[in-house]
Amino acid sequence: MKAKDFRSPLEPVWCTGCGDFGVLKGLTQALADLEIPPERLAVISGIGCSSRLPGYTRSYAFNSVHGRALPIATGLKLSRPEITTLVVGGDGDGFSIGLGHLPHAIRRNVDLTYVVLDNGIYGLTKGQSSPTTEVDFKRVRGLAGPDERPLNPVLLVLSSGCGYVARTHAGMLPHLRQTVRDAIRYPGFSFVHVLAGCVTYQTPGYAQEIYQRCDEVPAEYDPSSFQAAMTAACAERFQLGVLYRRDPGDGPLDASEAPGLAGIWQPRPARVSEDAAHEE
Amino acid sequence: MSAVRAPDEAHRQPPPRGTSHSSLTLALVGSGGDGVALLGDLLLRMAAQLGLHGMMVQSYGPQIRGGESAVILRVAAREVGYEGDRTDVFVCFRLADLRRFQGAVRLHRDSVVILEQSDTQEMPEWIGRSERETFRYPFARFENGIEVPGDPKNMLALALVCKVLGWPAALARETLGQRFGHRPDVLARNLAAFDRALGGPSPSEVRIAPGEGKALFAETGNEAIARGAIEAGVKFFAGYPITPSSEIMETLMDELPVAGGRVVQAEDEIAAIGMVLGASFGGVPSMTATSGPGLSLMTEMAGLSSMAEIPAVIVDCQRAGPATGMPSRTEQSDLNHAIYSGHGDFPRAVLGVFDVVHARDVMHRAVHLAEKYQLPVFVLSDAYIAQRRQIRGPVGERPPISRRDLWSPGMGPARFDLSGDHGVTPFRVPGTPDGTYLAAGIEHTEEGYPTADGTLHHRMNRKRFQKLDAIAAETREWFRVLGRADAAKGLVAWGSQYGLLDEWVGRHEDYRVFLPEILHPFPLGAFEAWRERLGSLAVLEMSYQGQLYRYLAGITNLSGARSITRSGGMPLQIGELERLLEGEER
Ligand code: SF4
Repeated sequence: MKAKDFRSPLEPVWCTGCGDFGVLKGLTQALADLEIPPERLAVISGIGCSSRLPGYTRSYAFNSVHGRALPIATGLKLSRPEITTLVVGGDGDGFSIGLGHLPHAIRRNVDLTYVVLDNGIYGLTKGQSSPTTEVDFKRVRGLAGPDERPLNPVLLVLSSGCGYVARTHAGMLPHLRQTVRDAIRYPGFSFVHVLAGCVTYQTPGYAQEIYQRCDEVPAEYDPSSFQAAMTAACAERFQLGVLYRRDPGDGPLDASEAPGLAGIWQPRPARVSEDAAHEE
Repeated sequence: MSAVRAPDEAHRQPPPRGTSHSSLTLALVGSGGDGVALLGDLLLRMAAQLGLHGMMVQSYGPQIRGGESAVILRVAAREVGYEGDRTDVFVCFRLADLRRFQGAVRLHRDSVVILEQSDTQEMPEWIGRSERETFRYPFARFENGIEVPGDPKNMLALALVCKVLGWPAALARETLGQRFGHRPDVLARNLAAFDRALGGPSPSEVRIAPGEGKALFAETGNEAIARGAIEAGVKFFAGYPITPSSEIMETLMDELPVAGGRVVQAEDEIAAIGMVLGASFGGVPSMTATSGPGLSLMTEMAGLSSMAEIPAVIVDCQRAGPATGMPSRTEQSDLNHAIYSGHGDFPRAVLGVFDVVHARDVMHRAVHLAEKYQLPVFVLSDAYIAQRRQIRGPVGERPPISRRDLWSPGMGPARFDLSGDHGVTPFRVPGTPDGTYLAAGIEHTEEGYPTADGTLHHRMNRKRFQKLDAIAAETREWFRVLGRADAAKGLVAWGSQYGLLDEWVGRHEDYRVFLPEILHPFPLGAFEAWRERLGSLAVLEMSYQGQLYRYLAGITNLSGARSITRSGGMPLQIGELERLLEGEER
């Protein structure tokens, strides 16, 4: 199968030069590599520039409402497990209005692949700040003040217990293709953070600056190490690659792997039944 | 579901002696922990075994646990959907707990009154309304003036009530055995207390007429909704806990997987309905259930369901609102929300639930409409139905539900084809070859692609709203009328007013009642025919603004009709309705 077998007849409305084109291309290439029949594929999104992407794929596609792609995809996957289900969307959709759903999708570990196209800005509504807008980015409206900090999406999903976390760049097609392909293959919830540029509302040169701040993780990088992933997530420069991959057979994350976050992953105490007193 | 068994043993039949009433209401009042709810539950189970009908409503104090607790239980020879407005048997463990419930306890000349022997509280004056001797019993045990744990009070009361009603002790023991069979220690202690009180002094008796002669079973409104959904073919449920609807999810958690379905407790109501739309997009009949505040959160996705033409059933157990309102109290004030909520124009259907027995039928109809017409269907229940336990007859067979009209390869029409005249186009289920399309909340072309073409938007609106015309044609008989067809005074009401009005017309032959089972689209033709030659018309509802009245005024001429409304959270009683109809202001 070829990438174009996964393209719908619709022409994208994205601005010329938008990073989202690269993602569409890499994603359809990954789907072709995996030879998933289009009728067994569903691509779900919320709202935003990047959430238009399902319309450009040949698949069962759903362009829903702002921030709600993950619950919709969860319902679909739980009721139709045989359908390969991808979720795509932007940083506003995923980390602002829809953020509340992300840790829960991770917690449920439903076999979805969530690809977030992060351009650090609201493109569709013309340039307001997003949850990942960097502090010193002066042109953006909406920042409350110099202390308003961007979220770190990779740190966020790692600390929620996500079993597969990767980062790639919209301009690095082969890397993106391979990353998305691996993520879809991962049996469980997988998260792919894609750095994507907005050529219209970002300061000129900013997309290029982001690109230059990217490093692929070194060959000896061990994605099974949670500590390594946390370090990579917090690095000054953007680390690209599979940052964390827990073997699906390993069960939930063990507190010993993450001493600093032990409290979050304590096993739950057994539930004590209160019914006894009630029934008497 | 409890098994329906034939009452072959002679001990199940109460002895036929003295005058028997066709219906009796029992009020049981205690403190949290006294086991009043369990007492009511046991008595209702016994009634069902005796082939009697009846229902039970509970009332709690403001505390989550502890505080006061009351049960109003009615047993009757025929089906009832109203707890009655006369208290025939009254059991109270602590007079101090009465204050909150005295509105619900209505003693009369012949009421049997059973009180705690050592209670030194001054008796409220209205208890004197009963001319029978007040029966005092030592439910509590004291040492140095301090209450110490003794026999369970509710088991002592169970024995006393059995003696009052003449119900067989063997049946009580059997019922206790079913309830506590898994905990032999508790069962033994309860049986000992029961037997001790059985052997002691007896209160005076009142008798209930014999039942149908075959054992019935009891369920709550929420259980009935859950089971009705399963019977109707729902295979996916997602919800978020909220009073008073949570038991729908809880029942489905136990029973839907057995029927091959799946239940998810979502992180919030928005996620819940999102999951429902996702599952339904996948071709699986799906639903959620919530209560007022949750319904507000679900509103945007109800619009998405309608816009993307994805079936969804949304059950709303109304509670007194707005905002957090009074979560455990009932109201009918989400009608506007169900009919009008959301931005933009979008069609939806709205059904009302009369009582527990009706709930299963309603779910069948709701799933049918959602699946057939590919739109959101709201089902309005309320706290008064949701948490009442009501005895019902065996569940009858229903005609099989119509399936979603599915697209198959080579069929032709685009997903949102505009050429039909009923608005419904074949649904494309993921997995169907060559059927890929875009479902969208954004306005779309016939193929599903985004568009900002105003003319197309108007035509798509027409396509979507054509469904309402088709639904109206199909559902024009979805209403009930009560009373004599020639009665001069008319009442229109909906939902849980049904049980009250069913009794009302039995006592007031000058009234006839119209109750829509579908509220939107409203069965207007039937309503217009019903109201012909009426001398007066009143619209009755449990909302402050008169939401049904205003809705009807918008679709028909209501001049001369009265709007009778009462919010407040407590169900209406017949006496109160009489006063309201006489025009008394509250
Ligand atoms: S506004 Fe920015 S993100 Fe949106 S399509 Fe244009 S370039 Fe892409």
